[in-house]
Amino acid sequence: MYLIANIIVCVCALGGFIYGGTKFFRPKKALYAQMITLSLGCIAFGRLYNIVRLMTGGNLTDSFQLGFLGLIGSLMFFFSSNYGTVDSLVDDYSKEFTKYRVIALAAPVAAVLMYLGLFLFGNVSPIWKIQGAALTLFVLPASYFNLKHLIFPDVEFGVVKCLRPYNLLALIYTAAIFVECFAMSRDIEFLTLICCCVTGIITAAMIPTIVRGLKKWRT
Amino acid sequence: MENMIYILYICMVAPLLLSLPLIQKKSRSVMVFILIGISAALFVSEINGLLLRIMDYDTPYVTTTITPATEEIIKAIPILIYAFVITDNRNKLLGSSFALGIGFALFENTYILINSMESISIEWAIVRGFSTALMHGICTAAVGYGMSFVKKRKKLFYCGTFSLLMMAIIYHGIFNMLVQSEDLKYFGFILPLATYIPIVIALIVRYMKRKKAEQEAKAV
Repeated sequence: MYLIANIIVCVCALGGFIYGGTKFFRPKKALYAQMITLSLGCIAFGRLYNIVRLMTGGNLTDSFQLGFLGLIGSLMFFFSSNYGTVDSLVDDYSKEFTKYRVIALAAPVAAVLMYLGLFLFGNVSPIWKIQGAALTLFVLPASYFNLKHLIFPDVEFGVVKCLRPYNLLALIYTAAIFVECFAMSRDIEFLTLICCCVTGIITAAMIPTIVRGLKKWRT
Repeated sequence: MENMIYILYICMVAPLLLSLPLIQKKSRSVMVFILIGISAALFVSEINGLLLRIMDYDTPYVTTTITPATEEIIKAIPILIYAFVITDNRNKLLGSSFALGIGFALFENTYILINSMESISIEWAIVRGFSTALMHGICTAAVGYGMSFVKKRKKLFYCGTFSLLMMAIIYHGIFNMLVQSEDLKYFGFILPLATYIPIVIALIVRYMKRKKAEQEAKAV
Protein backbone atom coordinates (compact mmCIF):
# COMPACT_ATOMS: atom_id res chain seq x y z
CA MET A 1 0.00 0.00 0.00
CA TYR A 2 2.84 2.42 0.88
CA LEU A 3 4.46 1.67 -2.48
CA ILE A 4 1.30 2.50 -4.44
CA ALA A 5 0.72 5.63 -2.35
CA ASN A 6 4.24 6.91 -3.00
CA ILE A 7 4.09 6.03 -6.71
CA ILE A 8 0.90 8.12 -7.06
CA VAL A 9 2.51 11.20 -5.51
CA CYS A 10 5.82 10.71 -7.32
CA VAL A 11 4.18 10.46 -10.75
CA CYS A 12 1.94 13.49 -10.15
CA ALA A 13 4.75 15.63 -8.72
CA LEU A 14 7.17 14.58 -11.46
CA GLY A 15 4.55 15.49 -14.09
CA GLY A 16 4.13 18.91 -12.46
CA PHE A 17 7.90 19.35 -12.20
CA ILE A 18 8.48 18.58 -15.90
CA TYR A 19 5.55 20.75 -16.99
CA GLY A 20 6.74 23.61 -14.76
CA GLY A 21 10.31 23.15 -15.99
CA THR A 22 9.32 23.53 -19.63
CA LYS A 23 7.00 26.44 -18.83
CA PHE A 24 9.01 28.51 -16.33
CA PHE A 25 12.71 27.70 -16.63
CA ARG A 26 13.33 30.25 -19.35
CA PRO A 27 14.80 33.75 -19.20
CA LYS A 28 12.50 36.45 -17.81
CA LYS A 29 10.01 33.98 -16.34
CA ALA A 30 8.58 34.44 -12.82
CA LEU A 31 10.98 33.31 -10.10
CA TYR A 32 7.92 32.60 -7.96
CA ALA A 33 6.80 29.90 -10.39
CA GLN A 34 10.35 28.52 -10.65
CA MET A 35 10.41 28.08 -6.86
CA ILE A 36 7.13 26.16 -6.91
CA THR A 37 8.40 23.99 -9.76
CA LEU A 38 11.48 23.16 -7.67
CA SER A 39 9.27 22.34 -4.70
CA LEU A 40 7.50 19.77 -6.88
CA GLY A 41 10.93 18.41 -7.82
CA CYS A 42 11.69 18.06 -4.13
CA ILE A 43 8.44 16.17 -3.56
CA ALA A 44 9.12 13.88 -6.54
CA PHE A 45 12.69 13.12 -5.36
CA GLY A 46 11.54 12.43 -1.80
CA ARG A 47 8.87 10.04 -3.01
CA LEU A 48 11.28 8.39 -5.43
CA TYR A 49 13.58 7.71 -2.48
CA ASN A 50 10.68 6.12 -0.60
CA ILE A 51 9.79 4.00 -3.65
CA VAL A 52 13.38 2.77 -4.06
CA ARG A 53 13.59 2.08 -0.33
CA LEU A 54 10.44 -0.06 -0.46
CA MET A 55 11.55 -1.82 -3.65
CA THR A 56 14.89 -2.72 -2.10
CA GLY A 57 13.24 -4.38 0.88
CA GLY A 58 13.29 -1.53 3.38
CA ASN A 59 10.39 0.05 5.25
CA LEU A 60 9.41 3.64 5.86
CA THR A 61 7.93 3.57 9.33
CA ASP A 62 10.59 2.12 11.65
CA SER A 63 13.41 4.63 11.24
CA PHE A 64 14.21 8.01 9.75
CA GLN A 65 14.28 8.06 5.94
CA LEU A 66 15.75 10.66 3.61
CA GLY A 67 12.44 10.83 1.72
CA PHE A 68 11.19 12.92 4.65
CA LEU A 69 13.60 15.67 3.58
CA GLY A 70 11.58 15.96 0.36
CA LEU A 71 8.61 17.17 2.41
CA ILE A 72 10.77 19.66 4.29
CA GLY A 73 12.42 20.90 1.07
CA SER A 74 9.04 21.43 -0.59
CA LEU A 75 7.78 23.44 2.40
CA MET A 76 10.94 25.58 2.30
CA PHE A 77 10.39 26.28 -1.38
CA PHE A 78 6.73 27.21 -0.70
CA PHE A 79 7.86 29.56 2.04
CA SER A 80 10.65 30.96 -0.09
CA SER A 81 8.36 31.61 -3.06
CA ASN A 82 5.89 33.60 -0.96
CA TYR A 83 8.24 35.34 1.43
CA GLY A 84 11.15 35.90 -0.95
CA THR A 85 9.39 37.03 -4.11
CA VAL A 86 5.75 38.07 -3.65
CA ASP A 87 5.34 39.23 -0.05
CA SER A 88 6.95 42.63 -0.62
CA LEU A 89 4.40 43.28 -3.41
CA VAL A 90 1.51 42.15 -1.26
CA ASP A 91 2.18 43.70 2.13
CA ASP A 92 3.76 47.06 2.93
CA TYR A 93 3.61 46.20 6.67
CA SER A 94 1.41 49.20 7.46
CA LYS A 95 -0.93 49.12 10.47
CA GLU A 96 -3.95 49.05 8.20
CA PHE A 97 -3.53 45.32 7.45
CA THR A 98 -2.53 44.09 10.92
CA LYS A 99 -5.84 42.24 11.17
CA TYR A 100 -4.94 39.97 8.24
CA ARG A 101 -1.48 39.29 9.57
CA VAL A 102 -2.97 38.20 12.90
CA ILE A 103 -5.63 36.02 11.24
CA ALA A 104 -2.90 34.34 9.16
CA LEU A 105 -1.32 33.13 12.41
CA ALA A 106 -4.23 30.67 12.65
CA ALA A 107 -2.43 28.30 10.26
CA PRO A 108 0.79 27.90 12.30
CA VAL A 109 -1.24 27.74 15.53
CA ALA A 110 -3.36 24.93 14.04
CA ALA A 111 -0.15 23.12 13.03
CA VAL A 112 1.22 23.34 16.57
CA LEU A 113 -2.06 22.09 18.03
CA MET A 114 -2.11 19.21 15.55
CA TYR A 115 1.45 18.31 16.50
CA LEU A 116 0.64 18.37 20.21
CA GLY A 117 -2.48 16.27 19.77
CA LEU A 118 -1.32 13.78 17.15
CA PHE A 119 2.38 13.36 17.86
CA LEU A 120 3.64 14.73 21.17
CA PHE A 121 0.81 13.48 23.39
CA GLY A 122 -0.19 10.66 21.02
CA ASN A 123 0.87 7.05 21.24
CA VAL A 124 3.68 7.21 18.67
CA SER A 125 7.36 6.21 18.74
CA PRO A 126 10.01 8.81 19.71
CA ILE A 127 11.36 8.94 16.12
CA TRP A 128 7.93 10.09 14.89
CA LYS A 129 7.69 12.63 17.69
CA ILE A 130 10.96 14.12 16.45
CA GLN A 131 9.95 13.91 12.79
CA GLY A 132 6.59 15.47 13.62
CA ALA A 133 8.36 18.33 15.42
CA ALA A 134 10.68 18.89 12.43
CA LEU A 135 7.73 18.89 10.05
CA THR A 136 5.81 21.35 12.27
CA LEU A 137 8.83 23.64 12.40
CA PHE A 138 8.85 23.96 8.61
CA VAL A 139 5.06 24.02 8.29
CA LEU A 140 4.89 27.12 10.54
CA PRO A 141 6.37 29.74 8.15
CA ALA A 142 5.11 28.12 4.94
CA SER A 143 1.49 27.84 6.13
CA TYR A 144 1.56 31.37 7.62
CA PHE A 145 2.41 32.94 4.26
CA ASN A 146 0.04 30.66 2.34
CA LEU A 147 -2.88 31.67 4.56
CA LYS A 148 -1.79 35.31 4.59
CA HIS A 149 -1.74 35.48 0.80
CA LEU A 150 -5.04 33.67 0.67
CA ILE A 151 -6.91 36.23 2.79
CA PHE A 152 -4.94 39.42 2.18
CA PRO A 153 -6.86 42.14 0.30
CA ASP A 154 -5.58 42.86 -3.19
CA VAL A 155 -4.81 46.55 -3.07
CA GLU A 156 -2.26 47.47 -5.70
CA PHE A 157 -0.79 44.85 -8.01
CA GLY A 158 -3.58 42.32 -8.38
CA VAL A 159 -1.13 39.45 -7.95
CA VAL A 160 -2.55 38.05 -4.68
CA LYS A 161 -5.99 37.55 -6.14
CA CYS A 162 -4.60 35.55 -9.05
CA LEU A 163 -2.48 33.33 -6.81
CA ARG A 164 -5.20 32.56 -4.25
CA PRO A 165 -6.08 29.16 -5.76
CA TYR A 166 -2.43 28.13 -5.54
CA ASN A 167 -2.19 29.21 -1.89
CA LEU A 168 -5.31 27.23 -1.10
CA LEU A 169 -3.79 24.15 -2.77
CA ALA A 170 -0.55 24.64 -0.82
CA LEU A 171 -2.48 24.77 2.46
CA ILE A 172 -4.38 21.57 1.62
CA TYR A 173 -1.06 19.94 0.66
CA THR A 174 0.44 20.93 4.02
CA ALA A 175 -2.52 19.48 5.93
CA ALA A 176 -2.41 16.29 3.83
CA ILE A 177 1.28 15.60 4.51
CA PHE A 178 0.74 16.27 8.20
CA VAL A 179 -2.05 13.70 8.37
CA GLU A 180 -0.01 11.32 6.20
CA CYS A 181 2.89 11.46 8.67
CA PHE A 182 0.44 10.77 11.49
CA ALA A 183 -1.01 7.79 9.58
CA MET A 184 2.48 6.42 8.93
CA SER A 185 3.49 6.85 12.56
CA ARG A 186 0.55 4.58 13.52
CA ASP A 187 0.99 2.33 10.47
CA ILE A 188 -2.53 3.10 9.17
CA GLU A 189 -2.01 2.17 5.52
CA PHE A 190 -5.47 3.10 4.22
CA LEU A 191 -5.29 6.65 5.62
CA THR A 192 -1.80 7.02 4.13
CA LEU A 193 -3.19 6.04 0.73
CA ILE A 194 -6.03 8.57 0.99
CA CYS A 195 -3.60 11.34 2.00
CA CYS A 196 -1.28 10.42 -0.87
CA CYS A 197 -4.19 10.54 -3.34
CA VAL A 198 -5.03 14.05 -2.10
CA THR A 199 -1.35 15.07 -2.27
CA GLY A 200 -1.09 13.62 -5.78
CA ILE A 201 -4.11 15.57 -7.03
CA ILE A 202 -2.80 18.77 -5.42
CA THR A 203 0.71 18.42 -6.87
CA ALA A 204 -0.70 17.68 -10.32
CA ALA A 205 -2.97 20.74 -10.14
CA MET A 206 -0.39 23.17 -8.76
CA ILE A 207 1.47 24.21 -11.93
CA PRO A 208 -1.66 24.58 -14.13
CA THR A 209 -3.12 26.77 -11.34
CA ILE A 210 0.01 28.95 -11.32
CA VAL A 211 0.01 29.18 -15.12
CA ARG A 212 -3.63 30.29 -15.11
CA GLY A 213 -3.02 32.71 -12.23
CA LEU A 214 -0.05 34.39 -13.87
CA LYS A 215 -1.88 34.63 -17.19
CA LYS A 216 -4.84 36.29 -15.48
CA TRP A 217 -2.51 38.72 -13.70
CA ARG A 218 -0.87 39.85 -16.92
CA THR A 219 -4.11 40.39 -18.83
CA MET B 1 48.16 -0.92 5.77
CA GLU B 2 47.51 1.62 8.50
CA ASN B 3 47.15 5.29 7.54
CA MET B 4 46.61 4.34 3.90
CA ILE B 5 44.07 7.11 3.45
CA TYR B 6 46.59 9.77 4.57
CA ILE B 7 49.32 8.31 2.35
CA LEU B 8 46.95 8.43 -0.58
CA TYR B 9 45.91 11.97 0.29
CA ILE B 10 49.52 13.20 0.35
CA CYS B 11 50.30 11.40 -2.92
CA MET B 12 47.37 13.04 -4.65
CA VAL B 13 47.46 16.50 -3.15
CA ALA B 14 51.20 17.23 -3.18
CA PRO B 15 51.74 17.22 -6.99
CA LEU B 16 48.52 19.12 -7.62
CA LEU B 17 49.50 21.67 -5.00
CA LEU B 18 52.95 22.11 -6.55
CA SER B 19 51.44 22.66 -9.98
CA LEU B 20 49.25 25.53 -8.76
CA PRO B 21 51.73 28.41 -9.28
CA LEU B 22 52.56 27.21 -12.80
CA ILE B 23 49.10 26.93 -14.30
CA GLN B 24 46.94 29.69 -15.76
CA LYS B 25 44.61 31.68 -13.54
CA LYS B 26 41.36 30.23 -14.91
CA SER B 27 42.54 26.63 -14.57
CA ARG B 28 43.99 27.40 -11.15
CA SER B 29 40.58 28.07 -9.65
CA VAL B 30 39.32 24.69 -10.93
CA MET B 31 42.44 22.99 -9.56
CA VAL B 32 41.98 24.63 -6.16
CA PHE B 33 38.42 23.31 -5.96
CA ILE B 34 39.52 19.82 -6.97
CA LEU B 35 42.03 20.00 -4.10
CA ILE B 36 39.33 21.19 -1.72
CA GLY B 37 37.12 18.32 -2.89
CA ILE B 38 39.90 15.81 -2.17
CA SER B 39 40.39 17.31 1.31
CA ALA B 40 36.63 17.24 1.93
CA ALA B 41 36.59 13.54 1.03
CA LEU B 42 39.33 12.86 3.59
CA PHE B 43 37.42 14.76 6.25
CA VAL B 44 34.14 12.99 5.38
CA SER B 45 35.79 9.57 5.61
CA GLU B 46 36.68 10.31 9.24
CA ILE B 47 33.16 11.56 10.04
CA ASN B 48 31.54 8.58 8.30
CA GLY B 49 33.76 6.15 10.18
CA LEU B 50 32.66 7.73 13.43
CA LEU B 51 28.98 7.61 12.43
CA LEU B 52 29.31 3.98 11.41
CA ARG B 53 30.66 3.15 14.87
CA ILE B 54 27.82 5.10 16.54
CA MET B 55 25.24 3.29 14.39
CA ASP B 56 26.63 -0.14 15.34
CA TYR B 57 28.13 -0.81 11.88
CA ASP B 58 24.70 -0.91 10.19
CA THR B 59 26.40 -0.20 6.83
CA PRO B 60 23.34 -0.36 4.49
CA TYR B 61 21.34 2.10 6.61
CA VAL B 62 24.27 4.45 7.20
CA THR B 63 25.32 4.57 3.54
CA THR B 64 21.80 5.18 2.25
CA THR B 65 20.55 7.56 4.92
CA ILE B 66 23.34 9.16 6.95
CA THR B 67 26.38 9.51 4.66
CA PRO B 68 24.51 11.28 1.81
CA ALA B 69 23.64 14.02 4.32
CA THR B 70 27.14 14.35 5.82
CA GLU B 71 28.86 14.28 2.41
CA GLU B 72 26.58 16.87 0.83
CA ILE B 73 26.76 19.21 3.83
CA ILE B 74 30.56 19.05 4.00
CA LYS B 75 30.89 19.57 0.22
CA ALA B 76 28.58 22.59 0.44
CA ILE B 77 30.59 24.42 3.12
CA PRO B 78 33.57 25.52 0.90
CA ILE B 79 31.14 26.64 -1.82
CA LEU B 80 29.20 28.63 0.75
CA ILE B 81 32.38 30.39 1.91
CA TYR B 82 33.42 31.00 -1.72
CA ALA B 83 30.01 32.51 -2.55
CA PHE B 84 30.04 34.72 0.54
CA VAL B 85 33.65 35.91 0.41
CA ILE B 86 34.82 35.82 -3.22
CA THR B 87 32.12 35.76 -5.88
CA ASP B 88 28.44 35.03 -6.37
CA ASN B 89 28.81 34.77 -10.16
CA ARG B 90 26.59 31.85 -11.18
CA ASN B 91 28.87 30.43 -13.87
CA LYS B 92 31.93 30.56 -11.62
CA LEU B 93 30.02 28.97 -8.75
CA LEU B 94 28.64 26.18 -10.92
CA GLY B 95 32.09 25.40 -12.35
CA SER B 96 33.78 25.51 -8.96
CA SER B 97 31.17 23.39 -7.22
CA PHE B 98 31.26 20.80 -10.00
CA ALA B 99 35.07 20.67 -9.73
CA LEU B 100 34.78 20.21 -5.96
CA GLY B 101 32.37 17.31 -6.43
CA ILE B 102 34.68 15.71 -8.99
CA GLY B 103 37.70 16.11 -6.67
CA PHE B 104 35.69 14.45 -3.91
CA ALA B 105 34.76 11.53 -6.15
CA LEU B 106 38.35 11.21 -7.42
CA PHE B 107 39.66 10.61 -3.91
CA GLU B 108 36.77 8.36 -2.93
CA ASN B 109 37.22 6.20 -6.05
CA THR B 110 40.96 5.88 -5.54
CA TYR B 111 40.55 4.92 -1.92
CA ILE B 112 37.95 2.26 -2.74
CA LEU B 113 40.21 1.00 -5.56
CA ILE B 114 43.11 0.49 -3.16
CA ASN B 115 40.94 -1.10 -0.48
CA SER B 116 39.24 -3.65 -2.70
CA MET B 117 41.94 -4.39 -5.24
CA GLU B 118 40.91 -8.08 -5.66
CA SER B 119 37.36 -7.39 -6.78
CA ILE B 120 38.12 -4.50 -9.15
CA SER B 121 37.41 -4.77 -12.88
CA ILE B 122 37.12 -2.54 -15.96
CA GLU B 123 33.33 -2.51 -15.47
CA TRP B 124 33.85 -1.26 -11.93
CA ALA B 125 36.05 1.56 -13.22
CA ILE B 126 33.51 2.56 -15.87
CA VAL B 127 30.67 2.55 -13.37
CA ARG B 128 32.61 4.49 -10.72
CA GLY B 129 33.97 6.93 -13.30
CA PHE B 130 30.75 7.69 -15.12
CA SER B 131 28.20 7.35 -12.35
CA THR B 132 29.65 8.07 -8.90
CA ALA B 133 31.92 10.90 -10.01
CA LEU B 134 29.15 12.49 -12.03
CA MET B 135 26.67 12.12 -9.17
CA HIS B 136 29.01 13.97 -6.76
CA GLY B 137 29.55 16.71 -9.36
CA ILE B 138 25.84 17.15 -10.08
CA CYS B 139 24.84 17.26 -6.40
CA THR B 140 27.44 19.90 -5.50
CA ALA B 141 26.66 21.96 -8.62
CA ALA B 142 22.94 22.02 -7.68
CA VAL B 143 23.81 23.48 -4.28
CA GLY B 144 26.22 25.94 -5.96
CA TYR B 145 23.36 27.16 -8.17
CA GLY B 146 21.32 28.06 -5.07
CA MET B 147 24.28 29.93 -3.59
CA SER B 148 24.49 32.25 -6.59
CA PHE B 149 21.57 34.12 -4.98
CA VAL B 150 23.67 34.91 -1.90
CA LYS B 151 24.03 38.63 -2.52
CA LYS B 152 21.30 39.35 -5.06
CA ARG B 153 18.28 37.91 -3.26
CA LYS B 154 19.06 37.07 0.34
CA LYS B 155 15.49 36.03 1.13
CA LEU B 156 15.72 33.39 -1.58
CA PHE B 157 19.26 32.36 -0.80
CA TYR B 158 18.71 30.92 2.67
CA CYS B 159 15.64 28.87 1.87
CA GLY B 160 16.57 28.09 -1.73
CA THR B 161 20.03 26.78 -0.85
CA PHE B 162 18.65 24.75 2.05
CA SER B 163 16.01 23.19 -0.19
CA LEU B 164 18.52 22.45 -2.97
CA LEU B 165 20.75 20.83 -0.36
CA MET B 166 17.80 18.64 0.64
CA MET B 167 17.31 17.70 -3.02
CA ALA B 168 21.00 16.86 -3.42
CA ILE B 169 20.96 14.69 -0.27
CA ILE B 170 17.90 12.76 -1.47
CA TYR B 171 19.41 12.32 -4.96
CA HIS B 172 22.63 11.01 -3.39
CA GLY B 173 20.61 8.68 -1.14
CA ILE B 174 18.62 7.30 -4.09
CA PHE B 175 21.86 6.69 -6.00
CA ASN B 176 23.53 4.90 -3.09
CA MET B 177 20.47 2.75 -2.52
CA LEU B 178 20.16 1.81 -6.20
CA VAL B 179 23.82 0.87 -6.69
CA GLN B 180 23.80 -1.26 -3.54
CA SER B 181 20.71 -3.21 -4.54
CA GLU B 182 20.95 -6.43 -6.54
CA ASP B 183 18.03 -5.95 -8.93
CA LEU B 184 18.08 -2.19 -9.45
CA LYS B 185 21.80 -1.43 -9.59
CA TYR B 186 21.78 -0.75 -13.35
CA PHE B 187 19.24 2.04 -12.78
CA GLY B 188 21.73 3.49 -10.32
CA PHE B 189 24.52 3.39 -12.89
CA ILE B 190 22.51 5.32 -15.48
CA LEU B 191 20.85 7.78 -13.07
CA PRO B 192 23.68 10.40 -13.08
CA LEU B 193 24.11 10.13 -16.86
CA ALA B 194 20.36 10.49 -17.32
CA THR B 195 20.58 13.71 -15.30
CA TYR B 196 23.81 15.01 -16.82
CA ILE B 197 23.11 14.49 -20.55
CA PRO B 198 19.88 16.59 -20.73
CA ILE B 199 21.62 19.41 -18.83
CA VAL B 200 24.60 19.36 -21.23
CA ILE B 201 22.28 19.29 -24.27
CA ALA B 202 20.30 22.24 -22.87
CA LEU B 203 23.52 24.18 -22.27
CA ILE B 204 24.81 23.46 -25.80
CA VAL B 205 21.48 24.51 -27.35
CA ARG B 206 21.51 27.72 -25.31
CA TYR B 207 25.13 28.44 -26.28
CA MET B 208 24.37 27.89 -29.98
CA LYS B 209 21.31 30.15 -29.82
CA ARG B 210 23.37 32.89 -28.15
CA LYS B 211 26.12 32.56 -30.78
CA LYS B 212 23.57 32.74 -33.58
CA ALA B 213 21.98 35.84 -32.07
CA GLU B 214 25.40 37.48 -31.73
CA GLN B 215 26.25 36.68 -35.36
CA GLU B 216 22.92 38.09 -36.55
CA ALA B 217 23.47 41.24 -34.50
CA LYS B 218 26.96 41.63 -36.03
CA ALA B 219 25.59 41.18 -39.56
CA VAL B 220 22.98 43.91 -38.97
